[in-house]
Amino acid sequence: MLSPYTVLDLTGGHGDLASMLLGDMGAKVIKVEPPAGSAGRGEPPFIEGGPELERSLPFFAFNRNKMGIILDLEAEAGRNALRGLVETADFIFESGQPATLDSLGLGFDVLKEINPKIIHVAISAYGCDGPYADYAASDLTIAAMGGPMSLQGVPDRAPVRISVPQVWLHAGSEAATAALTAHALMLRTGEAQFVDVSAQTAMIATMLQGISAHAIQGQDYQRAGSLLQLGQANLPVVFECADGYIVLIPSGPTLAVIVPWFVEDGVVPESWIEGEIWPTYHVRLLQGQPVSYSAEEVLAAITKYVANYTKNHLLERGLREGVALAPVNDIGDLTGFQQLEERGYWMTAPLPNGLEARAPGLVVRLSETPMSVKSWAPALGEHNGQVLNSMLGLDDTEINLATGGKAG
Amino acid sequence: MADPLPFDGLKVIDISWVLVGPTTVKYLADHGATVVRVEAATPLDILRTAGPFKDGIPGPDRTQFFAEFNASKLGLCLDLKNPAGLDIAKRLISWADVYIESFRPGIVDSLGIGYETAKRLNPSIVMASTCLMGQTGPAAAFSGYGFHAASIAGFYETTGWPDLAPDGPWVAYTDGVSPRILAATIMAALDHRRRTGQGQHIDASQLEMSLHFLSPQIMDYSTTGRGVTRNGNRSQYFAPQGAYPCAGDDQWCAIAVETPEHWQALILAMGSPAWAQDTKFDSMEGRLENHDAIDQQISEWTKNQDPKALMQSLLSHGVPAGVVQRSSDLESDPQLAHRNYFRHLEHQEMGTVPYAGHQFRIRGYDNGPRFPAPVLGQHNEQVLREVLGMTDDEVTEAVIAEAII
Repeated sequence: MLSPYTVLDLTGGHGDLASMLLGDMGAKVIKVEPPAGSAGRGEPPFIEGGPELERSLPFFAFNRNKMGIILDLEAEAGRNALRGLVETADFIFESGQPATLDSLGLGFDVLKEINPKIIHVAISAYGCDGPYADYAASDLTIAAMGGPMSLQGVPDRAPVRISVPQVWLHAGSEAATAALTAHALMLRTGEAQFVDVSAQTAMIATMLQGISAHAIQGQDYQRAGSLLQLGQANLPVVFECADGYIVLIPSGPTLAVIVPWFVEDGVVPESWIEGEIWPTYHVRLLQGQPVSYSAEEVLAAITKYVANYTKNHLLERGLREGVALAPVNDIGDLTGFQQLEERGYWMTAPLPNGLEARAPGLVVRLSETPMSVKSWAPALGEHNGQVLNSMLGLDDTEINLATGGKAG
Repeated sequence: MADPLPFDGLKVIDISWVLVGPTTVKYLADHGATVVRVEAATPLDILRTAGPFKDGIPGPDRTQFFAEFNASKLGLCLDLKNPAGLDIAKRLISWADVYIESFRPGIVDSLGIGYETAKRLNPSIVMASTCLMGQTGPAAAFSGYGFHAASIAGFYETTGWPDLAPDGPWVAYTDGVSPRILAATIMAALDHRRRTGQGQHIDASQLEMSLHFLSPQIMDYSTTGRGVTRNGNRSQYFAPQGAYPCAGDDQWCAIAVETPEHWQALILAMGSPAWAQDTKFDSMEGRLENHDAIDQQISEWTKNQDPKALMQSLLSHGVPAGVVQRSSDLESDPQLAHRNYFRHLEHQEMGTVPYAGHQFRIRGYDNGPRFPAPVLGQHNEQVLREVLGMTDDEVTEAVIAEAII
């Protein structure tokens, strides 16, 4: 879809996903790294036995469909090469400290002189300017400042983040949307655009109904484990089964299907089936109207029933009978999930250490312009010659100067 | 003159519901597209039945859960199972550039407005179908919420405390991931269409989109067998990391030491206490091994401090720190104020309430939600007359047929 476009990705581990998404959609993406390599190459988890700068799995995962070059932006030759690339590029992504490119003489005001239609997307923790612009930040602290942590965890312990880093992935995918929005504006006005993506606000969006809770209802939501907070009734959604946990929302339509299962097993008497209008049970519960069986009784029946069955048994029976019973999967469980296998979702990625990894596949399916993965993350400077010679016409000496002596 | 908007003139029919579809479309709506949000009165969009409700009083037109993600859209209340209602939906599909739905796979086909029909009515339409598992496969019919997709993906396993049952992320986590990816895809498909005239059908599985957020961990597991599970706020690689108690009611400050420099800076910020000089804390490995002891000491130091003052002090030393903010804190967050993040719009039923702004700012124009979300059926007349150009007789017929609710 985006095959006419060229993307320059200067992000250092905080925005790789942005240009990966555009690359998956067909854009030509050039990852531009400093001579020492992107900071992203230092991000764990690591590939065991891989070459020093090719060890980072996050770097590997989020830099597919990109060519990789080195530019030494501390050197005039490197800056010149970047200016040359900007002339024919459509998008440039960066995630340096605010004003880093300005200080190198490569800020938006300069880039738009070189290319009056460039879309410049800056990704940062809190935004390019404002009182927090220079705050030191990490996945954990941005999850805190962005709000979702306040809603996660149990009341008698500290609030928690998701244990796998998420923040820069939210910011990165947001940046892809931001870039294409700005591009649509450029098509309208003919003018270059500067876009400022804030990771903090990307995290706020994940609070969903919690974003404005205080202003609307006069109080914040409070973290309550897995309890689904619905005002009149708060219902747990995680239940322990024979080999782990499942997620089950005890709504009317679900109960209508599973109450007969309880009866089959003698968990509740047969009279339960006719004793309640199950499809609308939750509506009456939420509105504080009378119900035949209290929430406590219903939850006790669910708990007792699911304790006897495995995650997969419950998933399969739910699928057969049309109710959503979701196993709490670890990654091993996930990779056994037939749906992904049969959709042909998984890809095989050749890691730099010679092993083959299972990798998430096409982001979405398109009927006319299918996405594809043509290459995996580049080694540092892998495409120096290809890009700097064929696109910019630099000779070996000039390439050497532009890349800080790392011609590759 | 008003600023030109990126999607001025773009026309969208949104028959999706709950979160992923409507949030995806909001990117287009806020940025200029004319969006007709088609709703049913029964069953109501589940977001209209859940809070937060204005002043705590429930009602389908009193919840910001619905309003937040449906700002800048026109609301049409239509019965798609009524032939006259279906006819109006088809007219909207003919009118639109983008058509989005989020029903269980097969539903729009059985209603008579699947992709094949849409393409016949409007050959270059960009249609997006999004659901938990995708349009095909043995679990395509799995009809649940983002809670379920998050659980299947692995986000429940990885949220909470190692010695407790999984807490899960806050509500329907994959609903927070999917819209950003789907919105980008629709915009790319529109750009392709602008250049080639070719439309297409997008099959967006919320599970498949969201699994990219666990990509390194999936690759790691597949080659080493190393799993990942919930670990409070700790990292396998960096220490100390945590949310530490502060003075006040349930106040916390997150602190993250990721480098030797951060650790030295933290020691200075704490006033170089004797305990921190112990050589067993010098290396990252030593700090990971002795995390409990370190946390106990840091908590002693933080517990009587004002959280915001503590954060400022740590930041001034170069230690990544952030207060755990609630929605009430966000209201007065100076950075958000600087970004003009919250927009106060006057909703027909709720009055003036704050709407969340954007995660990005395009310099040079004032981007944010343009107008409040519709109350049920608010723009019925406007859509039929102005958008579709229906005559008085046609509108009357539709009303008599009970197609419009």
